[in-house]
Amino acid sequence: MGSYVIRRSLQAIPLLIGISVVLFLMLQMTPGGPLASSEAGGGRATAERTERLREEFGLDDPLPVQYVNWAGGMVRGDWGTSYNTGRPVIDTIVDRLPTTLLLTGLAFVVALAIALPVGIFAATRQYSTFDYVSSGLSFVGVATPSFWFGLMLLFLFSFELGWLPSSGLEDLREQHLGLAAVWDRVSHLIMPVAVLALIATAQLTRYVRDSMLEVLHQDYVRTARGSGLPERSVVVRHAFRNAAIPMVTIAVLMIPELFLGAVITESIFAIPGMGRLFIESAELRDYPVLLGILTIAALLVVLANLVADVLYGLIDPRISYG
Amino acid sequence: MASHTLGADPASEPALRAPARSLWNDAWRRFRRHPLALGGLAVLGLLAVAVLIGPLLLGGDPDAIDFGAKDAGPSLAHPMGTDELGRDQLVRVLVGGRLTLSVASAAVIVSIVVGVLVGALAGYAGGFVDNALMRLVDVFYSLPGLFVVILLVTLLGAGFWTIVIAIAVFSWMNTARLVRASYLSLKEKEYVEAARTIGAGDVRIALRHILPNALTPVIVSATLGIATAILIESALSFLGLGFQPPQATWGGMLNQSQDAVINEGHWWRGFFPGAMIFVTVLAVNYVGDGLRDALDPRRVER
Repeated sequence: MGSYVIRRSLQAIPLLIGISVVLFLMLQMTPGGPLASSEAGGGRATAERTERLREEFGLDDPLPVQYVNWAGGMVRGDWGTSYNTGRPVIDTIVDRLPTTLLLTGLAFVVALAIALPVGIFAATRQYSTFDYVSSGLSFVGVATPSFWFGLMLLFLFSFELGWLPSSGLEDLREQHLGLAAVWDRVSHLIMPVAVLALIATAQLTRYVRDSMLEVLHQDYVRTARGSGLPERSVVVRHAFRNAAIPMVTIAVLMIPELFLGAVITESIFAIPGMGRLFIESAELRDYPVLLGILTIAALLVVLANLVADVLYGLIDPRISYG
Repeated sequence: MASHTLGADPASEPALRAPARSLWNDAWRRFRRHPLALGGLAVLGLLAVAVLIGPLLLGGDPDAIDFGAKDAGPSLAHPMGTDELGRDQLVRVLVGGRLTLSVASAAVIVSIVVGVLVGALAGYAGGFVDNALMRLVDVFYSLPGLFVVILLVTLLGAGFWTIVIAIAVFSWMNTARLVRASYLSLKEKEYVEAARTIGAGDVRIALRHILPNALTPVIVSATLGIATAILIESALSFLGLGFQPPQATWGGMLNQSQDAVINEGHWWRGFFPGAMIFVTVLAVNYVGDGLRDALDPRRVER
């Protein structure tokens, strides 16, 4: 097993190299190229200075040499500095990351907490009213643009009813204590998490239902029923365990999706996370920050794929590690 | 489709004769059985007509300013209300739909062309070429789509074709995988061997003989791709990074409605453009689902 994990991890390396080549080529497309993203370039250098810097940074080297130098810097944590603030990109991102991770994590938990019971229940009662309604709702959920859903929630709960705050993560005008402080945090998170979780919940519910249905029609489930086991035990102990294998994979792969979705959520609700940082940087054409965030997101996608594969191997004894 | 001769001349055995049915006849017969897919198709047809000739019928100019009627809620004169300049929202939604739908269609067409070329080359050539191209597909799958689209549009400037290309660059991989898989199995078929025996070249075999049979799975993925493209373009415009005002798109109208909806409660400003996206995407998804069942004869009829 250990060697399987290592071998699978090694397979990710060529992928990471491929991704870094694409990112490097995009960096070449930025006005001013990689020089402008360096600390010394700053976008405002004179011609002579630029010339000197070109030499210093090796911009007259062949592209492959430049690529190796750039990729080496990325690996060592040298991600350049923000055009906008002059701060190192990596610090800027680390500041914003926890907020986005909190949103992503909460949305993931909410999606699982709804999708698992609803999907399983719908599958055990195929063609029932519950099944039709939940399937219909998940179709509707997948087609709902998250920004529209968020805007309508804001209209309803902030403008009309005045129940929930419309932006930010905490009340900036007033310091709350005790339970009020907890409610302050929670009330700021309800709508953003609902918006972020919507599509994931809808997709996951459909997936859970389909995986369960497939397993429930297998012979061994009929045997378990035939041998007089209570239905609950058949569904939970026999069917769900096997349906869980594909479910885990899909659920893990959903994490990067949620992370990307945070761009829109953070933008609607003015939440200072990484997604908002990305939009702000796009408006300011702050390429070093954009590429830094892109790198983090790509790493997350690769990591999620790796984890999904390894988990699949862990759960399913039929997978050989050879 | 080729006609099959079962031993004797079918004409001499009337019991065996069935009305000739083409692949498309067959597919349509199965598609018709899905009321939601049919409904989706009708909605899309209606939408296309409304977007194309609606603004002409209404005689409205999407940019016509009328301060006398500004910030009005839905009424008979303005079924979708007006904005802060008194512009009729219905006309703007219809005109915006042209842009949103044409960007999405163009992006899907470009992504199919790229995907089919890459998939056909990988599947037909095999070996090293196949390996290299499939690793390329893996790389593009791992790139965070929406982020890269935003970066590309920021780099290239927001215009019709830059947005189309940016979306297409990150949506061709699925088609490529499907086409490659079809080519891998089809190139071993007897009819391909027969074509080769009578002297057909590689290009002719790949394009004339295999391609038509490899396209069926692409149809479903292309249909669903339209929904994704609409959502990406709308997200881009909603974030203020896509088409710029006064050009109307559904996402762009939502972007400009934010303040009015949240702070002034003018819900119609955001509701209708978003509802258009929602209805279109829902209809496209139902049609795609119906097509999936219709085009795959192996699928058990449920």
